[in-house]
Amino acid sequence: MRTPSRRKRDKALKEAALLYPNRIISTMPPFKDEHILLIAPGSQMTLAQLGLPETFTPARFRFPTRMFPAEKKGEFEPYKVRERKRDVKVNSDTNGAIEHKAPDVEMKDGDATAQNSTNGTEESEKTVQEIFYEEDVTSEEGAVYPIQNGRIVDWPCFFALLTHIYNSLSPPFHTPILLVSQPVWSARDREAITQFVFEKFKVPGFSMMDAALAACYGFGVQTATVIDVGKGKVDVTAVTDYAVNEHGRGIALEGCGGDAMTDRLVELLGGRASLGRCASNSSEATSRRFFPLAYLPPRRQSCRCRLDWRGDGVDAIPRGPGEGTQTGGETNGDEDEGVLDVAAIVSGDTNEYLANMEKEKASNKKAGADPKQPRLPNSKKEKATFQFEEFVQMEGDNSSQRYIRNSREIELGVERFLLATPSQKIGDRLSNGILEDIATQVHHTILAVPDATKRSELWDSLIIVGCGSKVRGFIQALLAVINKKFILSPSATIFTSEIPSTFTTPLPTGGTNTPAPMGMATPMYHPAAPGVSQLLVNATHNQHGMPIPGTPGMDPNMPTHHRSTGHSQTPTSVKTLRLPEYFSDFKDQGNSNAPGSSTGPSASTGGHGPEEAAFLGAQMGAKVFFVLDQGLSKGYMSRVEYNESGPSAIHEYVL
Amino acid sequence: MNPSNPPQTAEYGGDEVSAIVLDPGYSTTRAGFAGEDAPKSLIPTYYGKYNADGQEKFVYGDDIFVTPRPGLSIHNPIGRDGIVEDWDMAEKVWEHSFTSRLTGAKPGNPFQNGLNDIPSEELPTEMEVESEEKPLADSPLLMTEPGWNPAKAREKTIEIAMEKWGTPAFYLARSGVLAAFASGKASALVVDIGASNISITPVHDGMILKRGVQHSPLGGDYISSQIRALFKKNSPQPITITPHYLISSKNAVEAGQEPQVKFKTFAADKAPDASYRALLEERTLSEFKECVVQVWPGPNKLSATGPNGISNEDAARSSPGRPFEFPDGYNQVFGADRFRVVESLFDAKAAIPDPDSPFPTLPELIKASLAGVDVDIRPHLLANVVVTGASSLLYGFTDRLSQELMAQFPGPRVRISAPGNTAERRFGSWIGGSILASLGTFHQMWISKKEYEEHGANIVEKRCK
Repeated sequence: MRTPSRRKRDKALKEAALLYPNRIISTMPPFKDEHILLIAPGSQMTLAQLGLPETFTPARFRFPTRMFPAEKKGEFEPYKVRERKRDVKVNSDTNGAIEHKAPDVEMKDGDATAQNSTNGTEESEKTVQEIFYEEDVTSEEGAVYPIQNGRIVDWPCFFALLTHIYNSLSPPFHTPILLVSQPVWSARDREAITQFVFEKFKVPGFSMMDAALAACYGFGVQTATVIDVGKGKVDVTAVTDYAVNEHGRGIALEGCGGDAMTDRLVELLGGRASLGRCASNSSEATSRRFFPLAYLPPRRQSCRCRLDWRGDGVDAIPRGPGEGTQTGGETNGDEDEGVLDVAAIVSGDTNEYLANMEKEKASNKKAGADPKQPRLPNSKKEKATFQFEEFVQMEGDNSSQRYIRNSREIELGVERFLLATPSQKIGDRLSNGILEDIATQVHHTILAVPDATKRSELWDSLIIVGCGSKVRGFIQALLAVINKKFILSPSATIFTSEIPSTFTTPLPTGGTNTPAPMGMATPMYHPAAPGVSQLLVNATHNQHGMPIPGTPGMDPNMPTHHRSTGHSQTPTSVKTLRLPEYFSDFKDQGNSNAPGSSTGPSASTGGHGPEEAAFLGAQMGAKVFFVLDQGLSKGYMSRVEYNESGPSAIHEYVL
Repeated sequence: MNPSNPPQTAEYGGDEVSAIVLDPGYSTTRAGFAGEDAPKSLIPTYYGKYNADGQEKFVYGDDIFVTPRPGLSIHNPIGRDGIVEDWDMAEKVWEHSFTSRLTGAKPGNPFQNGLNDIPSEELPTEMEVESEEKPLADSPLLMTEPGWNPAKAREKTIEIAMEKWGTPAFYLARSGVLAAFASGKASALVVDIGASNISITPVHDGMILKRGVQHSPLGGDYISSQIRALFKKNSPQPITITPHYLISSKNAVEAGQEPQVKFKTFAADKAPDASYRALLEERTLSEFKECVVQVWPGPNKLSATGPNGISNEDAARSSPGRPFEFPDGYNQVFGADRFRVVESLFDAKAAIPDPDSPFPTLPELIKASLAGVDVDIRPHLLANVVVTGASSLLYGFTDRLSQELMAQFPGPRVRISAPGNTAERRFGSWIGGSILASLGTFHQMWISKKEYEEHGANIVEKRCK
């Protein structure tokens, strides 16, 4: 496996040396697998990894995308630093040091410490307060989130985060960086990041890979529609032949991501459940989180699917404001009423659904004569409970900021299926919930692809990534909405069964001249497999990453009679793609979205599934750009190039 | 892309700040960096306006196609003839076109903070209040304009660029000239089939021949109105276009059958304005144009009789029809009708009767345009006909145009050049601007901020001929 690739590289290098005699190519030592830094920033979590493993795995490190303002303005710390005081005996050695720190005291840490300090001074005059700092890893207080809806809103903080990640992983000197970029970043944003990376980290090479393209690499396809369901936003991108179509791309659709579903759930729960209460009390904090268990009804399908939200480590744990913990107080009847109230507002489909629910409930009651509930799959239960752990401040010990883990149980009713229904307070959207918004965007995006012959393929290769899509049943529900609204009836397409439109010449309406020759459709699966060379070919032919590669001078007067007229309407079908099977680490959760596969919530603590395909793709990209072709296909920008042409040259490399 | 003079890095100016090229059209606005082969940013020139929480809100960009909003109405700052009518909104739409994808909302952000470890005490405090940040403070701007843009509009344009956006250098170029550059020609007869207009621009040695500029509203929107007229008198039943946002679900039906559809209803005070519906209907129509509509390839008009005695209409009828399904599920096969809707571009008599008044057809326009230029250069122009504009992508358009021109001008050699690449056809004038602005020799053409301040807005008349 090693030798062929090396031989290929050597050959490529030789060719390149002939092509660019002036350029010194081989002076830089080649990059190694284990010395490549990958960073994929997101609004909530930033994934990072140093080195490419033998088989690609989910990201080894996850950093919350947040920093805390440090004492000095403009600087940031990775964790909340609390300033605390402790009474110590006067000691001549430390005295001086303490005194000059004292004035800072009152600015932080509210009542508890202040009270404490007065106690301290009252007790004894011989003691003096010593200030010490401790990192509070659980706190989110005062956190700055540099990325919101994909946009970088706080540059100093974002750079501080990059620095923190870089320092934590402490890569060796000769380590290139590959950054997965958000679609919403503007050209200037990319330049700013490039400048920062080169000048701060002194990297030998830097590459930026579009998140949508990375997802395509992960799935091993060259043409796909990537739907990235994030925290607060959704991106919809049509990728054709490894080129991102910038025009018509759905960038950072707000109010469509995971948060929208969380908000809807909170709204459904209203003031009824304690969960709702905590949520409304601390709405800002909860808006950053997902509730671990909720459900989404695939429209018109009788099988219900589970949301299986495992959030991202600590962050996803909903934390209430303390002791108020019960849901059990209410009677069953009350709860049903509440549900119906909600149902009265939502659409007809949901009513139908609730009716089913009622029936099912009745039958359950008949069946389950014994007090023990029959063991039903979670999705069939009328209520589901889940446990979550929260950190509660230790009681009776106000002064110490210590926490204990406290697990409590939350019960959710039918609300868990209604995540994607439209919100009551419609705000300024008239659509039927987020799924419809996303579906409409997909339709718009695909229709905007200039190469009409690719559209059908785009509909048949949806890639749904992003943590928001981990909600059980999300994908099925989205497909159902697309089917309901956009799929063409067979009678409209029966006449169009011409030769597959890819065979037509790309004349006037035909669209672009694809850089890849026909018949290259065999997807690339693994960087070490023979497929790689195709990837390289594509990368070399498609170096600008421009949406439409331009080709000069096709004779427009060429007779077009042989060509079937125009092209046909789409979509006639819609399908999602599956992640290649042999990435077993990504497969763990691979079926979490399959209908009917409802395992208990306990199974939800584990790996990361296809929703992080972008990171998998980034690893493949890094392997190809940095290791296999050593920059021949302009996969990354080298330091030499940066010195020559400055940060704006990154646009020639952005993939 | 086929630039006549490739940008030469040596004379490319020392400082690598690439200019922004802004090509505002009636239907879409294109913006991108000079030197690239397609605009990075493509947004509709239409914008949405609605009221929420007691205040007026605006929607720009593709979002207007995706999310219906309560009481949303759609407007266009540019008039039907391609001249800006609402300058305030034009400025905002244009600004969105480059801030959204290119420059970001605030360039020159204090992001240097991460690089320069200046202790905060040493940071001069007045640096933060330093002149109000303007969106284009560090990029030169090249804008395009239609050939018949009045002087007043040109002055207003430079005023916005200089004063509102703070661009350091500016140039205004005719879109026709740029389209010629994009095809690598300094002299050409540019036939631009846009959304609201078609225009004929004779270009000689990179200069526009003003007397020969012709334009008429026979653009994509006119074809849409022809299609609507066709739908109105369609049999077995008139077709109404119901955009997707009004449909909650549909069922498959046989061709020509009543649609089975569940509509969505909005409360009267929430329903989007009729203009929103019109915009989305237009979207369906453009899909229809892409999939169904075809220009009769010629020779001769659709109404004429072919060489073998069969009337062209019959020949058209015998060609296989194209099916189309509307958002509500209604679907039908369109036969000869799909040729008829565009026939009036070439044959005034073929227009489907519609309240719209008759306009000169394309061959007539070209004839009039050529009549306005010197006799000597006519053959040269006819040998260099450049076709650009998105509506020229109608299937079979260039074939027919060349047939018509050859029939009309039998003497000189007629040669049409139309890029096969969709993007090059749609963004012809943008690409020309991209080439022009990245040429080293173009550097002396820029109107600098200083010159503007010295001479006032009128300088654009002198410099941008």
